[in-house]
Amino acid sequence: MRLLIVEDDRKLAEFVARGLRAESFAVDLAGDGREGQRYLASYRYDLLILDLMLPHLSGSELLRRVRQSQPSLPVLVLTARDATEDKVAHFEAGADDYLTKPFDFAELVVRVKAMLRRTPVERIDVLRLADLELNRLTQQVRRGGQRIELTAKEYGVLEYLLSSPGRVFSRTMILEQVWDQSFEGITNIVDVYVRYLRRKIDEPFPVKLIHTVRGVGYCVREAE
Amino acid sequence: MNHRSLAFRLGVWYALLLSASFTLVGVGLFYGLEHYLRAALGDSLRRRSTQIEEIARSVPTGTAVAAIGDAIEIRVAPEFNNRLVRVTRAPGELVYRSGVPADRSFDPAAVPPFSGPWPTNSVTHRTETAQHQALMMSATTVEAPSGRYLIELGASLAPGDSLQTHLLLLLAMLLPVLVALAAAGGYLLVGRALRPVDRIAQSAEQMLLQDLDARLPVVPTGDALERLSISVNHMLGRLRDSIQTSRRFLADASHELRTPLTVIKGELQELVHNDAIGRELRDRIGSVLEEVGRLEHLVSGLLVLSRLDVGEAQRVWVEFDLAELAAGTADQMRLMAEDRGIQIHTSNLARTVVRGDRARLKQVIVNLLDNAIRFTPRGGSVTFSTSAGEKHQALEIRDTGIGMPPTALSHIFDRFYRVDEARSREDGGAGLGLSIVRSICAVHGVDIEVDSSPGQGSCFRLKFPHSRSSLSASSAGTGP
Repeated sequence: MRLLIVEDDRKLAEFVARGLRAESFAVDLAGDGREGQRYLASYRYDLLILDLMLPHLSGSELLRRVRQSQPSLPVLVLTARDATEDKVAHFEAGADDYLTKPFDFAELVVRVKAMLRRTPVERIDVLRLADLELNRLTQQVRRGGQRIELTAKEYGVLEYLLSSPGRVFSRTMILEQVWDQSFEGITNIVDVYVRYLRRKIDEPFPVKLIHTVRGVGYCVREAE
Repeated sequence: MNHRSLAFRLGVWYALLLSASFTLVGVGLFYGLEHYLRAALGDSLRRRSTQIEEIARSVPTGTAVAAIGDAIEIRVAPEFNNRLVRVTRAPGELVYRSGVPADRSFDPAAVPPFSGPWPTNSVTHRTETAQHQALMMSATTVEAPSGRYLIELGASLAPGDSLQTHLLLLLAMLLPVLVALAAAGGYLLVGRALRPVDRIAQSAEQMLLQDLDARLPVVPTGDALERLSISVNHMLGRLRDSIQTSRRFLADASHELRTPLTVIKGELQELVHNDAIGRELRDRIGSVLEEVGRLEHLVSGLLVLSRLDVGEAQRVWVEFDLAELAAGTADQMRLMAEDRGIQIHTSNLARTVVRGDRARLKQVIVNLLDNAIRFTPRGGSVTFSTSAGEKHQALEIRDTGIGMPPTALSHIFDRFYRVDEARSREDGGAGLGLSIVRSICAVHGVDIEVDSSPGQGSCFRLKFPHSRSSLSASSAGTGP
C-alpha cells in the first residue's frame, strides 16, 4: 500500500510517515500543493493524507483537482479547524475522512486502515483476548467462562479496547467513541470507567489485561 | 419623570430664567406706569392751574370774590372733571372751593388745608383726606391786583392706583401660567431636540450587540448631531477593528499551536512505546505527555471561545427538551460522581423545551456538573431542577459543595480565574470551563445567576428565554 502525505510542516509529515512506515506502508512526502500534484500525477497511490493549509496550492484546491482526476482515491484531511461547518465543508469538498490537529497517531492509523479496507468490514462477532471473550451479538462478556455483568458504558469502553488489542487508545479517542465531544478533556470520566472495568475484568484474575500507558491512554494486551 | 435628565434640568432652568425676567419686566411696568400716571396727572393739574391763575389775575380790584368762583365753574367745571379747585386769598380767606366731584372720589371739605409757606412756583404733593382718600395736589401762588391768591388743584389718585392694582393682579396671575408653560415647553422641546441623540444611542447599542459592520445613518444636519453620528461611526469602526484583531489573534494563536502540539505528542508517544527505554524514563515522558494533554485541552478551549466570540454557534439550532439533555448528561457522569461519593438527583426535572445548539448546551451542562462534582466533598449531592416563569424557563444545578466567597462571584466567568489556586490546579481544570459556559449562554441569550457562599454550596441558574421568543432572537441574531 502506498500513501502520499501532503503537509507543509516537515516535522509533522516525517513523524507521521515514520509511524506509517512502521505499520508497513510505503509513504511519500510532499511539502506543498504543487509538489503534491506532481506526485499524484506521477505515481498511483492508495490513499492521500492532505493538510488543507498549504503554500503555493491550497489543500482545498488540490482536493478539488484530485476529485476530478481520481474520484475513487480515499482522502484523509488533516485540519487545525474543528468547527462543525468546516467539517461539513471538508466532506462537501470530497474528503472521505478528516482528523483535527492535534491528533493521536493511533487514531490516524485506525482511520487510515479503515479507509483502505476496500470491502465492507467483516464484522467479527466475538472478540477474544486470552480467556476474555466479548460477544457483540449478545453483548455478553465472559472471562474464564465466567459471565461478567457490565454497564453499557463499560461495555462500550471494553469493546473499543478489544477491537485492536495491543494498540494504545487515548482518552480523547475513547471519549469520542463511547461518549461524545462534550466531555473532552473536562473530566477524568474515562479513568473512572476503566477503573470500574478493571475491578470486574482484571481484579479477580491473576493475569491483568487492561494496561495504562501514562500520558497516552489505555490498551488491552496479554503480556506485560 | 427623570429628575436628572437633561430635558428636566433644562426645563427647570428655562422656567427659572423666564420667571426672573418676567418679574423684572413686571416691576418695571408697575413703576413705569405709576410714574407715567403721576406725571400725566401733574401736567393736567398744572394746565388747569394756569387757567385759574389767569382768572385770578383778570379779576379787577374790588369785585366780589364770588366772580372768581363763577369764572372757574364755567371755564374749568371742576365737579364735572372730577377735580378739586380751592382758591385762598392771603392771609387765609377761602375764596372758592369746588363741590363734590361727579365720581364722588373725594370729599372736598375733608381735604386738609395747605400747610407751610405758600410756594411761589407751582409744586405738586400728595395728600389724604380724613377718609383716606389719596389726592394729588398742585399749589401755586398768584400775585393779582386784587390780592395774593393760593390756587390749589387736586385730583383723586384712586383711578391710577386701581389701574396699578389691576396690573399687579394680572401679572401675578400670568406669571405661574407662563412659567408652567415655559417649563413644560422647555421639557418637551429639549426632549424633542434630544430624540435624534436617543435614536443614535439605540442604534449604536443594537449594532454593538449584533453587527459590528453596520453604521449609523448620518443625518446631514450640519450641526453637533451630524458630528455625533459621524464620530460614533468612527468609534464603531475602530472598535470592530480591535475586536477583530484580538479575535483573529486568539484564533490564529490557538490554531498555530496545534501543529507543533501534534508533533510533540506524536514523537513522545512513539518514545513511550519504545522498549529500549527504562521504566523511569517512560514514566517521565508520560508526565510530559500529561502536560501536553493539558496544553492541548487549553488550546482547544481557547479556540472554542474565539469561535463563540465570532458568533458561530447559531447555525445548528434546534428545539429540544432541556430536561432530557440534563438527565442524559447526568446519567453519563453519574458513575464519576458516585466514584467520589456524590449523589446526582434529577427527579425535579420537568419537560422544558428550548431552542439552541444542543451540543454546545450539553457542553454547558457538562462543565457545570463537572465543576459541581469537583468542588463537592464526599457524601454531598448535586441536584438538577427546572422551573418555568412568565418570562423565562430555568435550569438549576445546585450542589452541597465548598461554595465561593462573594468576592469571587463576579470573577468566576473570567478566563483563567480560579477561586482557589492550589485546589483547582491540582484537579487539572484549565480555568476556561466557566468562560465557555458564559460564552455559550451569551450566544443563546441565556442569563446565568449564581448563588453561593462558603460552606453552603453553589447554585447555577440558567434562565432561557421562552422558546418562541428565543426563535425571534435567533433570527434577529443571524440576520443578513
